[in-house]
Amino acid sequence: MGYTLAEKVLARVSGRDAVRAGEEVMAKPDFVVVYDFPGYTDVIFRQMKEDFGIDRLAEPERYAIFIDHMVPVATAAEEQLHIQTREWCQAHDVPLYERRGIGHQVAAELGYASPGAFVVHFDGHISQLGAFGTLAIGLRRNVLEAFVREHVSLKVPHTTRINLTGQLQPGVMARDVFHHIVRVLGPSSCRFQVMEVGGPGLDGISLEGRQVICGLAMFTGAITAVVNADALSRAYTDPRARLALPPVTSDPDAEYAAVHEIDIGALEPVIVVPPNPANTRNLADHIGMEVQAGYLGSCASGRLEDLRIAAQILKGRRVRDGFSLHVIPTSQEIMARAAEEGIISTLVEAGAFTSSPSCDYCYGRIAVLSSGQRAVSTGTLNVTGRMGNPDSEIYLCNAAAVAAAALEGRIADPRKYL
Amino acid sequence: MPLANLRGRIAWIFDQENFDVDQIVGVKNIKITDVAALAKLAMQAYDPDFAAAVRPGDVIVGGGNFGYGHPHYPPLRALRHLGIAGVIAESFSPGFWRGEISMGTMLAACPGVLGIVRRWDEIELDWTAGEVRNLASGAARPIEPLAAADHLMLETGGLVPYLKRDRVASRA
Repeated sequence: MGYTLAEKVLARVSGRDAVRAGEEVMAKPDFVVVYDFPGYTDVIFRQMKEDFGIDRLAEPERYAIFIDHMVPVATAAEEQLHIQTREWCQAHDVPLYERRGIGHQVAAELGYASPGAFVVHFDGHISQLGAFGTLAIGLRRNVLEAFVREHVSLKVPHTTRINLTGQLQPGVMARDVFHHIVRVLGPSSCRFQVMEVGGPGLDGISLEGRQVICGLAMFTGAITAVVNADALSRAYTDPRARLALPPVTSDPDAEYAAVHEIDIGALEPVIVVPPNPANTRNLADHIGMEVQAGYLGSCASGRLEDLRIAAQILKGRRVRDGFSLHVIPTSQEIMARAAEEGIISTLVEAGAFTSSPSCDYCYGRIAVLSSGQRAVSTGTLNVTGRMGNPDSEIYLCNAAAVAAAALEGRIADPRKYL
Repeated sequence: MPLANLRGRIAWIFDQENFDVDQIVGVKNIKITDVAALAKLAMQAYDPDFAAAVRPGDVIVGGGNFGYGHPHYPPLRALRHLGIAGVIAESFSPGFWRGEISMGTMLAACPGVLGIVRRWDEIELDWTAGEVRNLASGAARPIEPLAAADHLMLETGGLVPYLKRDRVASRA
C-alpha cells in the first residue's frame, strides 16, 4: 500500500523512512506560526522563561507571529499586549507580521505554506494552508511544546479522502461545498483525521476556494485538511515558498480510512443555521427571513473571488437602509488588488462599510449584534454569542448570499442578481 | 504504568451528539476568568443544585463528538473546581480532547458508555483493565487506549509538568 501526504510529511519531519497512521512520532515543525492573543502568546512567553528558563530560540526563522486580532486596538491593555509581542519578537529574532491581514492568509502569501511542509499553530483554522499541500495543524495550548523543544508529539493521523465530482453552478461557491460536505458526511466524519479533498470537481474551484474548504475542516472533526499540490497551487507557491521540498502527494494506492464521492454539480447555495456549524440547510428554505447585519470577511472568505461576486451583486444598487454590511478584505495584498480592480469603490458606493483587514469582526470584538438581531456571515463560526451577543443569531452562507441579503434586508437568493 | 483508577458517581449525562461545552457555564459567561464565579454559574441551565450535589471524584458522561464547535477552557475549569474528576464520552471532538488533556483533565473515550449508565450511578474508570464499569449493574464497556503523550500528560498533571519532565529525562 502507498502512503498518504500526511504520512509522508510526518515521516520526513520525524526523521523516519516511513510512518503509518496510528504511530506516535516526535515531529519537528518546519514552521511554528501563531497570532498574539491573551491567554496564548503572553502565557507562552511567560512559561518559556519562568517554567523552562528559555531565553533564546535555536532557530528563530522557524517561527512567525502575526498581529491580526485586536487590530486596531480598542483599549490600552490590548496595545500593551501588542507591545509585549513586538518586544518579544525583537528579543528573540522572530519575524513579526503586523496589520498585514489575517495571519492564516498572510502565512500563505509569505510562503509559509510551502508544499510538503509541516506547520503548527494553536488555532485550528491554520488547516487552510492545506490548500497548498502543506500539513498544518492547530494544537491549541499544546503549541507550547513547539516553543520549548524542537519536536511536538503527534499521533500520525488517518486520512479520509473526498473526491468531488461535477462542476459548481454560478452563484454556488467553495463555502457551499464545505458545508455540503458536513451535511453529507456529518460533523464527526473525519474525527482526528486529515480531510483530503480532490477529484475532478476541484478543477472548477479556485485556490482561494481550496483555502476556504481546508480552513473549515475542523467542523468535520478533522485535525487538518489537504489538497495535493498541483500546477494551480504550484504557480502560487513556487515564487513564494520559504522551503523548497521534494514534491509530496498522496500515492494513488494510499491507505485511506474512508473514500467518499460527493457530487457538487447539482449543489444549491446553502445556509448554516444556529447554533452550530453542523446545521447545513438549503438557502432556498430560508428565503425571506429578516436579517439586520451582514459580514463578508474572515479567514474563510473575504478573498478576491468573494469581493468580486459581492461587488457584482451590489454594483449600481444600495444596501437596504438600516442593514449593517461589513466587507473586510482578508489581507492587505487582497485589499490592494481589490482597490485596483475598482471593487472597493463599488462596495463603498453601494453603502458597504469596509476597513483594513482584521480578525475582529469574526469573533464579536467589534460590529457586535444587539439582542434579537440576526446576521448573515461568512465568518468561521455560528455558535451562540460568536458575534458578541448570546441573544443574537448567526447564519453562515457564501459571500454572494451576504451581498444579496444586504440589498433586501432578508435572506435572498444571490443568483437573481448575477 | 497505567493511570490510577477513578471511582466516582455520574454527576450528569450529556447524551446529545456534538455537545458544545460552552453551554456548561453559558456563552454569556465565557469570558469570566474567576474560577469561583464560573463554578457558581456552571450547570445552572441543567440543574440549579448541581454544585451542592456534586462530590469530588464525580464524573461527567457525554455523547458522540463531545466538545464540538469552538470549545473554550472556562467550562471545564469550572467543573474541575467543583470536584469533577473527568469526562467519559462516546467520543470526543479533537480540539476539546487536546485542550483538556493539556490541562490535565481526565478524559476517556468509551463507545457504548451511554448505554450502561444513569445519573448518580457509581462507576469505575479502570485504566488497567481498559474499561468503564458500572459498579451497581456490573455492565462494562472498553475504553480507547491513550496515546503515550496523552497518558504522560494525565500522569504528570498536564502540559507544563509533562514538558518539564520530558526535558529533564532527555538531559539525563
